Amino acid sequence: MKFLAIDSDKCNGCRLCELACSLRAAGTMQPARSRISVLKWEERLLNLPFTCFQCERALCAEVCPVNAIARDGATGALVVSKERCLGCGMCTQACPFGTIALDRPLGQASKCDLCGGEPRCVTICPTGAITYAPGGRTGLDRRRAGAGKLASLLQLVEGGGPQ
Amino acid sequence: MTLHGYAGRYLRVDLTTGHIKTVELDPVLARTYLGGNGFGTRLLWDEVGPEVDPLSPGNLLVLATGPLSGTTWPGSGRLEVIAKSPLSGAYGDSNSGGFFGPELKYAGFDMVVFQGRSPRPVYLYIEDGHAELRDASTLWGKGTYETEALIRQELGDPDIKTCTIGPAGENLVRFACINVSYMRSAGRAGMGAVMGSKLLKAVAVRGFGGVTLADPGRFWELTMAAHQRIRQNFLYPMVRQYGSAGLTALVNMTGRFPTKNFQLGAFDEHPKIGGEALEKYVVKHLACFACPVACDKAVRLDEGEFRGTLTSSLEYEAVGSLGGGIGNSHLESIVRGNRLCDDLGMDIISAGRTISFLMELGQRGIIPPDFADGLDLSWGNYHTMLALLEKTALRQGVGNLLAEGVRRMALEIGPESEPYAMHVKGQEIACQDGRGQQSMGLAHVTSTRGADHLKAYPTIDETGFPSPAVARYGEQYMPELIDPHAVRHKPMIVKDGEDFSAVVDASGHCKIGGTFVIAEIDWEDEAGALQAATGWNITADELKAAGERIYNLQRCYNVLHGLGRAQDTLPRRMLTEPNPSGTGRGRVVELETMLDEYYVLRGWDLKTGVPTRARLLQLGLEDAAERLKL
Repeated sequence: MKFLAIDSDKCNGCRLCELACSLRAAGTMQPARSRISVLKWEERLLNLPFTCFQCERALCAEVCPVNAIARDGATGALVVSKERCLGCGMCTQACPFGTIALDRPLGQASKCDLCGGEPRCVTICPTGAITYAPGGRTGLDRRRAGAGKLASLLQLVEGGGPQ
Repeated sequence: MTLHGYAGRYLRVDLTTGHIKTVELDPVLARTYLGGNGFGTRLLWDEVGPEVDPLSPGNLLVLATGPLSGTTWPGSGRLEVIAKSPLSGAYGDSNSGGFFGPELKYAGFDMVVFQGRSPRPVYLYIEDGHAELRDASTLWGKGTYETEALIRQELGDPDIKTCTIGPAGENLVRFACINVSYMRSAGRAGMGAVMGSKLLKAVAVRGFGGVTLADPGRFWELTMAAHQRIRQNFLYPMVRQYGSAGLTALVNMTGRFPTKNFQLGAFDEHPKIGGEALEKYVVKHLACFACPVACDKAVRLDEGEFRGTLTSSLEYEAVGSLGGGIGNSHLESIVRGNRLCDDLGMDIISAGRTISFLMELGQRGIIPPDFADGLDLSWGNYHTMLALLEKTALRQGVGNLLAEGVRRMALEIGPESEPYAMHVKGQEIACQDGRGQQSMGLAHVTSTRGADHLKAYPTIDETGFPSPAVARYGEQYMPELIDPHAVRHKPMIVKDGEDFSAVVDASGHCKIGGTFVIAEIDWEDEAGALQAATGWNITADELKAAGERIYNLQRCYNVLHGLGRAQDTLPRRMLTEPNPSGTGRGRVVELETMLDEYYVLRGWDLKTGVPTRARLLQLGLEDAAERLKL
């Protein structure tokens, strides 16, 4: 199974992912209807692309009164059924991250469906800040990055601290 | 009917009365002038006559986007600002990256047109189809960074995008700029002074709407193809890594790095201030909206005299203006100066040039040693540079003179100073020495906003690589086309560049990321994107005519203000003093030869430089021909 892996250090903040997403999801260039948002703390030079984590225990699906949110067998994405969704918004209340939203013009819940296995945010991202990779590997990559910081600290300690 | 690619409406704000009006965008105007500088030029032509002082209520201030703004088309985050320029007293515009332009469209407006003068400081807040003027009396006097932060705080939304002016704009410094979210600027032609003259401190915008496209599928294919080509371009890694400051070494080698106010074309100490030197201070690559390149670098000083300084958009022009231009090799002071110019709201190019002008006058004994309020005017004195930047923005002491720009400074100081005032039509020359690149010498002259490298943007013979030249213009112009010292074919690329630039600035995207520096988008690509966005069957030829129409109307506007061939000239130095440096050594700008050929290509009168009636009629500018009595 593959997941969206996000590396905020690599994100330049261009927001192309938002446009690519909204074009597929809503047919317009409209960040407000994108399922991914680049959150910014500009004074601190921090850009964080933020979207659905496809939670193992998905509260959005659990609270849905009509079972409109189900996991796609092929991609593992939690997908909103156009046929079933009432647009009640309970899922948006339940989600702890705000990554499922009501799309007003559509009148239904809208969330990342991994574009059926070819995420457009990944296609358009010019820096590799968003990648689509097997879960085992993304986890290991993060551990390695984290361990790298520890390793350099250990070297400092062993070398007697900063010169 | 939906006008795809456009918001379809714009705002007219009368600051004198406080009246705000929403106007439907005329589809014919859209197709004929596209947007951006096209719309602005038409508005100036129609509404701001030659009798209007640029800093009076009669001037307009136009913030405009284009049909590709806010889309996936590479670098679609540009905002065009148009007004009569307080430097040239004629046509003026300036372009900024950042995030304001797209946000304005998402809020439902293609542009905002300001007129009049507010009785008290105000800012305009726009959100989803609505706009209101708000009190800005507590913001008046504050720097651009703080103003932006306070507006976001007041309105309670960190995603609000702003255009702000600093003290320089409030004090009508003639080269004041407009700062655009986040840390970007519409730098040139004094647009910030026009904003200040209207007591308009800021424009803030938030939009949740979108841009519709006539053919979304086709548009996606075309944009992805353009993105892929840009990412594979041979200059892409360099521009990503160093931004425009990475050019410093090349420009020095070719003798085009204006040093000590253009006395030299190369600066011995340039390795201390170029892109590679700057890299140690870079903390983050920052992209403007929808940009695959991110040429902008956030730069921070963690130690030293200017510890704690954070800035971005520290471009080649900053390195040139506050570095080589004044003989300064202290990079940290350039970083500091860049931050100051942004925060005070001043164009770094013109600001640097006023200082280098003063230093040369000091060197030559044209002004007495105590002329600058006791500041030492020796080359490279960066404390003097930083002090003068503040004095200029606040119009304190000698700063009150610098705030007028070099042309007016020379009038005040006396005729012996005039040859060292490096400007064309009142706007200071940026960091290119035309004596080392003939096309640039011509471009500075024919630019419609006074001295400027970005109208024609002749990059083809700047770098001298054959493959992009052949790809864009064909084999028949080689090898002279890429030889910076040859004059042959240069009027052709200057004209073509000006027309293409007019279209790119009107469509709303970037000249670094895609069109001129990383040059992967040409006339055909542009026409394709506009077809898919708008649904028009617009061809490359129609687009070329649109670019020519916009440029000719800007020229006509300047003619209306008394400018013609007599003003199409350069400071004496560029025409008679051979460049002493680099591969440009021994050359002057061969202006008159190129100018004749340029006029012929443009269909302008050889003697007067005025567009001919025949050419104006071809371009659908009958009204311009009538008004100029041609």
